[in-house]
Amino acid sequence: MQNLGYVFAILGGALAAALAGVGSAIGVGRAGRAAAGVVSEDPSKFGKVLILQILPGTQGLYGFLIAFLLFVQIGVIGGDLQALSTAKGLMYFGACMPMAIGGLVSAIQQGNTAVAGVNVVAKRPEESGKAIIFAAMVETYAVIALLISILAIFSITGLSL
Amino acid sequence: MAKLPMKYVEIAAPLSESKEIFDYLQMLSVIELTGTEEVDGLSRLSAGRTPSQFEKYRTAAGDALRILDEYAPEKKGLLAGLAPLPELTFAEYLKKSDEADGLLGVCYDICGAERTITQARAAIARLEAARTGLEPWLGLDVPMKFSGTKQTAAMVGTLPGDYTAQTLTEALLAQTEAAVAVEVVSHGKERSCIFAVCEKAEEEAVFAALRTLGFAFVSDPTKHPPQVRYERYGKEIEQHRQEIGEAKAQIEALADKRRDLEFVYDYFSIRHEKYDALQMISTSGSAVVISGYVAEKRVEKMTEQLESRFTVAVAVSDPPEDADVPVLLENNGFAGAVEGITKMYAMPGKEDVDPNPVMCFFYYIFFGIMLSDAGYGLLMVLGTLFAKLKFKPTGNLKKTVDMYFYCGIATVFWGTLFGSWFGDIIPQVAKQFFDKDVGSLALWFEPVTDPMKLMLFSFLFGIIHLFVGLGVSFYNMWRQGNKVGAICDVIPVYLFVTGLAPLGASIVIDVPPAILSAGKWLLIAGTVLIVLTAGRSSKNIIGKFGLGLYGLYNTASGWLSDILSYSRLLALGLCTGVIASVINTLALIPSSKPVKLALLIPVFIFGHTVNMAINLIGTYVHTNRLQYVEFFSKFYEGGGRSFTPLHTNTKYFNLKED
Repeated sequence: MQNLGYVFAILGGALAAALAGVGSAIGVGRAGRAAAGVVSEDPSKFGKVLILQILPGTQGLYGFLIAFLLFVQIGVIGGDLQALSTAKGLMYFGACMPMAIGGLVSAIQQGNTAVAGVNVVAKRPEESGKAIIFAAMVETYAVIALLISILAIFSITGLSL
Repeated sequence: MAKLPMKYVEIAAPLSESKEIFDYLQMLSVIELTGTEEVDGLSRLSAGRTPSQFEKYRTAAGDALRILDEYAPEKKGLLAGLAPLPELTFAEYLKKSDEADGLLGVCYDICGAERTITQARAAIARLEAARTGLEPWLGLDVPMKFSGTKQTAAMVGTLPGDYTAQTLTEALLAQTEAAVAVEVVSHGKERSCIFAVCEKAEEEAVFAALRTLGFAFVSDPTKHPPQVRYERYGKEIEQHRQEIGEAKAQIEALADKRRDLEFVYDYFSIRHEKYDALQMISTSGSAVVISGYVAEKRVEKMTEQLESRFTVAVAVSDPPEDADVPVLLENNGFAGAVEGITKMYAMPGKEDVDPNPVMCFFYYIFFGIMLSDAGYGLLMVLGTLFAKLKFKPTGNLKKTVDMYFYCGIATVFWGTLFGSWFGDIIPQVAKQFFDKDVGSLALWFEPVTDPMKLMLFSFLFGIIHLFVGLGVSFYNMWRQGNKVGAICDVIPVYLFVTGLAPLGASIVIDVPPAILSAGKWLLIAGTVLIVLTAGRSSKNIIGKFGLGLYGLYNTASGWLSDILSYSRLLALGLCTGVIASVINTLALIPSSKPVKLALLIPVFIFGHTVNMAINLIGTYVHTNRLQYVEFFSKFYEGGGRSFTPLHTNTKYFNLKED
């Protein structure tokens, strides 16, 4: 049972990477389907719809980032394993949750907004900038989740428990 | 440097010269036409069917160019689109215009050749289908129409099902006693092609028997043995193939006319635009009046140019108070580069100032903090410099390239402060290959080691950004004479936020007590002033107080969320740096140095390309957001209409004054 701290910490990191990744996959997938439809009509819009498709992909990256940072902090990557108490492990688990849940939901919602944005580009390509901004609004909450997860991981490392 | 003031200009000229004047104005592209008001004695010119005629010609030229691209594509570099269009002087343009109608013939030739190809292809497909239909009959050595001799009756047709001569004879015997000779020309699972002969007297009985088996005559029987028609079709296909070859050769031979066709396309675009705009002109029968908006600084030169060439009278006046005056921006290179970003949001409205000069500075700084890697910044600077030197882009394209150039410089600046050059590749390589510890490259500090510090600085940058925005709003209100509003809506907020900031910072760091107590008093002063002034529009005292409290709530919650929004500066900056370091770590996993090096090169190139691309998009989007949502909401109304002059809307060349 002395390694339970590691179990929780790794579980948290894995969930951050996995759930945010699932959200991004769904979001990017949806936006990509809509984008393919537009490109089949007008291939010259490829560049514009591609940016919209990529937007919901950042959450997966943020989730990966959290998992990686955490694994470096607890020494899973870099090979400098030190004892990790169960309490601290659970704290790390909690620290990952904003990114895991926030990433999952925001990526899906951003995907939906991006689909709507792709429709904007189909009808009025000159307004693609506005469509991008709408999708980017959703991303704010992924950024906030990322930030709080990072800050929490850093400050938990400094605790002696 | 900002919004150019506009003048309303009316040009009166004799009708006889109107065409030349119009051409000249179109080339200058300084005037946005407005229709004149309907006055007695003046009526609108009617362009009639001409614009649609020009549209048709332009389409023909466009089609011809598209066909050329398909059959005789031109080799172009990937970045060729960055290069400015070739220039044509006005005199050259006029000279070449005479050829346009003749060149239209070339367009029609190319379109005709393509039509031939399409038709020939359709014919080939049709003939090939017919040949496939004939294939089962090739064994028949009489015409398919053959119906017998004097004594015999012959029937050529198909039966459902698979028969051989023997099975068919047996099947017929079961139906009739008449003597039939059958031949199966070909047979397959679903259908057999047969030839049957009998005595003429027994024709009906045999036909009835065949019908019970499902016999059907051939739908399009041949007059000659099927082989003849089969071969004839083959020859026709060959002919059509030859036609296609000839038409293709004809198109390819015309490929050297591409430049001319491009001219024709633009020529008719210009004509189309002109005749469309002609409808804005009023005429009295012998004179015309052209009216529109011209930027004040260009009025004088335009008047001079017109008067030296034509018989004209130019009247200049201020636009009426309630007129929908178009907006034209002019900035120096540094501020003008972000004009596209502002335009994407909205052109400045009537009461707005041009936000670009204030915005550009913050735009570059925030972009730099968020991308935050000097290596990536350096690539941007080199890439944009290359594009600028090689292609010398002009117009909006130049502005975009410039914007990324300045953003790249800012990125190098912040990357150097944060010590991030392609992540931590320099210390990593030094350690792994040469066993040296070069330490931190940061001139200031590394965000990963102290994220709290960068977060506080992000909020500080945010507060400065927002204060500047609020300052512009103060300037706007003051300028418009709303001095009370300027003081009451801006000063208390400055006090409030300045006071609150050290209190907020004291949660995470130690703030000197002197600053804390000063902040406390500023906060109290700001709070009191907001409660006292925010409700000044209400008439009774209770309403004033209620609205004041509501204003306090709005200020507090609004500013809190605005400032916290700047935490994205830290988040995106960390994101770039950490992922860049992850790429380096992954590349350096193997323990043997040669393997390490072999892995490092591809992983480094691929990983950093992807990371840079993704972070560029993210940074661009979030920098825009900070301007649009946080900054613009403080002072910017937008809703202006972009200045669209009567101009030569060309795709392949630029018109230039002699």
